[in-house]
Order: sequence, then structure tokens, then C-alpha cells
Amino acid sequence: MIRATEPSPRSRHPERAGQISAHLNCFPAMSGAALRVLALVNEPGVTAQQIEGVLRQDPGLTANLLRLANSAYFGIPTQVGSVRQAVMLLGLKRLTQMVVTVCAGSLMDRPVPGYDLPAGELWRHSLAVSVAAEGLVGELHLEGGEEIFTAALLHDIGKIILGQFLQDEIEPIRFALTRGLSFTAAESDVLGTTHAEIGADVLAKWALPKAMIRAVRWHHAPEEAGRPEPMLDVVHVANMLCLMIGIGVGLDGLHHEPSPVVTRRLGVTTAHLETVASHTLQWVGELSQMLDPGAPTGDRNRKAFNGSEHPHRR
Amino acid sequence: MNLTVLVGDLKIGAHDDTLVTHALGSCLGLVVFDPVIGVGGLLHAMLPLSSINPQKAEANPAMFVDTGVPVLFRTLYDNGAQKSRLIVKAAGCGNPMGGDQVFKIGERNYTVLKKLLWKNNILMAAEDVGGSQSRTLHFHIGQGQIVLRSNGEKRLL
Repeated sequence: MIRATEPSPRSRHPERAGQISAHLNCFPAMSGAALRVLALVNEPGVTAQQIEGVLRQDPGLTANLLRLANSAYFGIPTQVGSVRQAVMLLGLKRLTQMVVTVCAGSLMDRPVPGYDLPAGELWRHSLAVSVAAEGLVGELHLEGGEEIFTAALLHDIGKIILGQFLQDEIEPIRFALTRGLSFTAAESDVLGTTHAEIGADVLAKWALPKAMIRAVRWHHAPEEAGRPEPMLDVVHVANMLCLMIGIGVGLDGLHHEPSPVVTRRLGVTTAHLETVASHTLQWVGELSQMLDPGAPTGDRNRKAFNGSEHPHRR
Repeated sequence: MNLTVLVGDLKIGAHDDTLVTHALGSCLGLVVFDPVIGVGGLLHAMLPLSSINPQKAEANPAMFVDTGVPVLFRTLYDNGAQKSRLIVKAAGCGNPMGGDQVFKIGERNYTVLKKLLWKNNILMAAEDVGGSQSRTLHFHIGQGQIVLRSNGEKRLL
């Protein structure tokens, strides 16, 4: 488990910390095939055939991957019929992003009671923050959109674990909010840890890249991360924006403080935020439909797609 | 009937209908109704000005305050409402904590609304705006009653 550089507030609540760690240990892993693909893509000289070979062992994952690859969001002009073709047309970074998207979807579409998020809402929020993050990357001409998308997708995964504990402490949390504490400060005060910290532990358990773990751990406190990292900064801003426009906002409301330091170093303006917000809803609808087994095929969706609105072509 | 108004959406109802909208963060929730004929509408607009994305505004005017508010009023007039009888109430327009002006989209939504109403000589009967809370709004048209829920509390607007 990766520890924060400062002493963890968990130490003030040793008993609860033990219970939360126990939950963390039984938290479901991604499918074996998914983890092997994520490890493979970091190896130099990996081929599309090798990846296809691994994915063949998980037909469900493969089917969902292909469905996602055909969504308008990724903007491939032809119908993708095989994993090999998807790797050729989209590249390995996009493939990684899609593997995580498919796996996370099955974990994150459940209701999260403590946070007051009905079924599907955490997942919709996660997709929205990913789409908004990639939109910001485009607006601000940054690099690494695919990795930032993935970090954004997983930033709140800790809520699934912490929600069970939060449920018994709703009143103290509400009271802390009325005292003017930010939501994460309230979590820390009442539970001895935060959803960001627990989420980072989940990512560490899945052996995801360090930068991604750091982006999740500090997404509510980017100034405390020690050094500026665009991935973290973008996730911080995109998360704030999606809460503001009411996607996945629960008990926390807008009780979060955007960092003016991050705003300045990213050079983000209100116009950037509003432009990204105006595009986000449509893509969230599109992507969540693509990952729903009952959804129509990519071909039918493609017809409804308006090319000039594409996030990667703006 | 319960009608849900999504983000960037507006709906009109009458008498026994209840218009509901969830998770008003920085978005504007605007209720306008004519109590004499029992017709009302609810707008959930996300952003202040349509100039940020005119293409979107054309497809969906309810996404923006400057295009959504006129459409809401016009639709009510088309359904027999009269300007002199209209009751206008606003909720939402919240902001995150701290002083960062870049994130004050809620404040901008509220300013654009006030300007529009002022230009058209329309007074607001009540408002519950600002702060860092997220609000859920239920508008029971028949009773002309608006119930707001936020952070576990319930109040009338």
C-alpha cells in the first residue's frame, strides 16, 4: 500500500482504519485478462497479436471493448471488428483506456448509499469527469489525454469502499459541512481517511502507474502533492466542473474548494470551463449507452453523431 | 404526474403535475407559473450564455440561461399564461467553496437571469440561490408549491 508523505489521519482512528483496510483487501480485482493487458502495453515491442491472444481468454471483455471502440467518441471512421484492428486504428494508449473503462463500469454502476448516489450515478460522474478532463486537455493543448482520461475515470473509486462506513456517520458529516469544512476535510475528521486516499490504495493494489495513483490521491488537494502534475491538475478541475453541473453530486454538494494555484498554472479560464461543460453531457450519454449491454450497436449510434462536435477534432 | 427535468432541459405541466429536478449545483432552476390557469414550467439551465456554443444552443436552448429563459416564457404564453399573473422563482446558482472567480459559473447564471428579468420588467417572487449546497426541487403546480431539499433539510420556496 502506498502511503501519503504526511502522517495519515487514519492513525487517529486506528480501529476504523483496520476495518477499512479489511474492505480494501477484499475489493474485487480487475479480470485477469485486463490486468495482463495493462501489464503488456507497458512492455517495449508488444504486438497487437499478443494483446489479442490475452483478450481471447475473456470474450465478455472483448465484446465490450469492441462495442466501445465503435462508439462515436473515439471517432474511428470504419466499423472495428477485431481487437487487432482496434489496436491498429486506436493505438495501445487508447486500448488501455478502454480496458479500464470496461472493467471499471461493472464496479462503479452500483448505488453508493453513504454518498447519496443512486445506481449508475457514480459511473455517470466518472465518465463525465473523464470526458471533461479530455476536453480540458484539448482546450489547453496538453499532452497525455488517454492517461488523464483513465485517472479521471477512477478518481472516485474509493467511494465504493468508504460509502459503507460513511452511511453510519451521515449526521456528523452534515454537521461538519455546516461548520464550513470541505467535504474531504469532513471525511477525514469523521472517518480518519478520505475517498481519495482509499481510491489511491485501490489503484496501487491494481498496480496502475504511479502518476495515476497520485492523481487519485490528491484530486481534492492538488497543492499538497508536492510537485505540479498536469494529470492531477486536470482531474481536479474536471471533477469540480462536473459536480457544479450536477453530474454525480451527492451528499458532498459543492463543498469542495478549487485550487487557485492549479487554475493559474493550467491557465484555465471560465470560458474553457463553459466550453468543456457544453460538450460533456452528450458524450456521457453516448459512452454510457455504449457500455450498456442492451444498447444499440455502434453503427446505429454513428448515424446520430455530428462530426463537428467531436472532442478530438475541435 | 411526476415529470423529471434533466440538466439542460425544460418542461411544462398543469394542475396535478409535479415537475422535479435533481442536483442543482451551479445550474439555474427557474420556476414560472400562472396560478389562475394552473399552468407552470421548470427550466434547468447549465450555463449562462449561448455564445460559448451556438450550435448546442440551437439544438437545445434549455442548456443556456439566455436562450432557455425566453423559451420557457414563450411556451407558457403559448399555453395560455398571461404575463401579469406570472409568478417567478429561482433556485440553484451555487458555487464551490473558496474565492476562485474562474469557477463562479453559478454566479454568472444568476447575473444573466437577473438581467433578462429586469429588461422585461419581471419581478422575482422568491429565490434560494448561492452557497455550496446542491438542491433538489419539487414543484407541485396545482398548489403552486415549491419544495427544496438540500443537505438533508427541506424548505419551501
